[in-house]
Amino acid sequence: MNKEKTILLAPLDPVHDIGLKIMKRALDEAGYKTVLLPPDYQSEEIIKVALENDTGAILVSRTLGYGVAELLSKFADLAEAAGLREKATLVMGGMGVRPELAQELGYDAGFGPGTKAEELLAFLEGVEYVPEAAGANKQKSDITEPFSYKYKNKEIGELLDKIVDNILDWAKDKTSPGIKRAEVREKLLEVPYGQDRTELLDEYLSYCDQKIKDYYKDGVLPPKTRALAQEELDKLAEYVKVTQERMSVQKIQHTRKKPTVFIQYGTGCPFMDIAHIKACEAWGADGVVHFDPSWGARTEGFLEGYLTHEEDGSIITPENLMRIKGSLCDHTLWQVRAHRGLNTPETVLLAGAMGADMTKINIAYGSLGGGTDPSRLTIDAIQAIKYATKYNLSFDVVTNEELCGVPAYKAFAGMLITAHLGIRLGGRPMLQPLFCYSPEVMVSGDMEDNYIDFNAAKIRALRSIVDAPIWPGAPIGFLTQTEDRVQSSMSTALHGALAASLGVEAISIASSDEAYSGGPIAAPSRIDTLRALKEAFRFFGKAGIQATDNADKMAEGIVKGIQGVLETIVEKGSYVDSLYDGLLGSVAEGAYPGRAGRDSIIKK
Amino acid sequence: MEECYKKIVDAVDIETFFACKDEEEGRTLALKLLESFGLKDTDIVFIQYEGPGARVRARGYIHRAGDRYGWLEGGKKDE
Repeated sequence: MNKEKTILLAPLDPVHDIGLKIMKRALDEAGYKTVLLPPDYQSEEIIKVALENDTGAILVSRTLGYGVAELLSKFADLAEAAGLREKATLVMGGMGVRPELAQELGYDAGFGPGTKAEELLAFLEGVEYVPEAAGANKQKSDITEPFSYKYKNKEIGELLDKIVDNILDWAKDKTSPGIKRAEVREKLLEVPYGQDRTELLDEYLSYCDQKIKDYYKDGVLPPKTRALAQEELDKLAEYVKVTQERMSVQKIQHTRKKPTVFIQYGTGCPFMDIAHIKACEAWGADGVVHFDPSWGARTEGFLEGYLTHEEDGSIITPENLMRIKGSLCDHTLWQVRAHRGLNTPETVLLAGAMGADMTKINIAYGSLGGGTDPSRLTIDAIQAIKYATKYNLSFDVVTNEELCGVPAYKAFAGMLITAHLGIRLGGRPMLQPLFCYSPEVMVSGDMEDNYIDFNAAKIRALRSIVDAPIWPGAPIGFLTQTEDRVQSSMSTALHGALAASLGVEAISIASSDEAYSGGPIAAPSRIDTLRALKEAFRFFGKAGIQATDNADKMAEGIVKGIQGVLETIVEKGSYVDSLYDGLLGSVAEGAYPGRAGRDSIIKK
Repeated sequence: MEECYKKIVDAVDIETFFACKDEEEGRTLALKLLESFGLKDTDIVFIQYEGPGARVRARGYIHRAGDRYGWLEGGKKDE
């Protein structure tokens, strides 16, 4: 449209003109001459103004309601009768307006709620409106990049150094079946497709449990598991391609740059996972976290192939991971968890080889709350961190032992030890305190008044110790959500707003099905919490939630507690024995040294 | 299976408020409602009863993990 001509914006409405004001600003910025009429003009008055100006387009707005279609139709007729239709484009917009209705009423175009200014500009300029491609407005970010990992609390830094010295010294002459398998897997990944790999596979299987051997040798799959057919794989490829072409993605942080928002997937089926992931990406998730089945963590060895199973947790195989990676938007951060279980080194290796951005490692949680023998996981975690470093994966150190009943300060001591081990081995750890209603606070009453102070205290405590990224999870608000999707979404949104107020780097969120245990998480429940979170971020913007003075006192207590635990471990002289003996969480507190992989350590 | 069911990624939820005498009646009504839609793999996700009746969210699973998904048929651009 010729920019010398006037665009007349007319609210054909007794009151509302906000939509037109927003469009006027965009049109003015684009260099158009605009005239905005006040509300409550009669149709004849609008036509008169249009005739008095050299009008190239008339934009009328009106919320649809009883008799409104007739009013709009009459306006179009008047414009026609006045000879305006030959020289001016007629556009209608407002609540309830659809393009087909506009056409029916004699308008050139109609725009409903949520119309972007770019859409209107494209129409007026006679060019096709092309929405931004999926993720074009998003970029993958490195959460760890701005951090120095320097200790502000020197005493704690020195204690951690002593403990990590002890760990590395203890581990130097030890290896494990998990490490051996990872070493063979590295070689297997390099074997060209179609080439004989029998020898390597035999070596791999020599370190595996019988159920894994049964699969490779006889094709026997674990219960409720099946291989995906080629036809299904082809259809999935088409589904991903078509979905990717037509989807756009939302940014949910509003005016803030962080927190980066992660969702967790693990439906059991990589196809269903992908359907959930695509929905979450579209509704604004920045990253996704792979959950594997719990039996996988207690089994020596990985299966291969495209496999689906009917229960929670999606099986880790090179093929499944590759397929999931191939479905992600370029900007989506991808984490594959390796924080517990007997396949920790190989998980990190596969994650790295398949293009993951991050992983999850924690010796204390994995061995006290995850069921793996402490010695075994210590050995395996060291190798896993080395793989993470090799493949440039950052890793979070989650503190889920809090959910068993371990107090936060003890869980944090364990987290800081694994994180420091990571730093010493050249890795980039991220601290993952829980934002949860833990057994500890249920007993202490520290969350009796609010869910803010203790969570804020955790962040302040960690910040006072070390300059490292903090990523509360997992998910935020854990044990505060109920089966009511409104309450559940609200709780997630408020915890997200608190996390944003505290300036943390990332958060993991649940779906509104978080507390429902009767069946799998449904896709709409994921959208519930993403929408709620977006609304919370919109509401708070750069403003925030304020903790009470109690938060500082609680933070001091946490730091003091952490230091006390670390001093006791140094005095004991053995990190691994400290795990068995309950210094980082005792049996009385619900932490049980795991038995999976006990006595499996191999002397080098 | 009807096309509209095939396109459901995993589950359909029906939310309503039943005028009923207690939670048990609300639960029974919700499950019957799902049954009337031909849904078989059903459950009550959430129910809360207060004096006037029960707010309920009832669910029927169409596709569970490991199934062959009808929505994979619908990925074609020209559909």
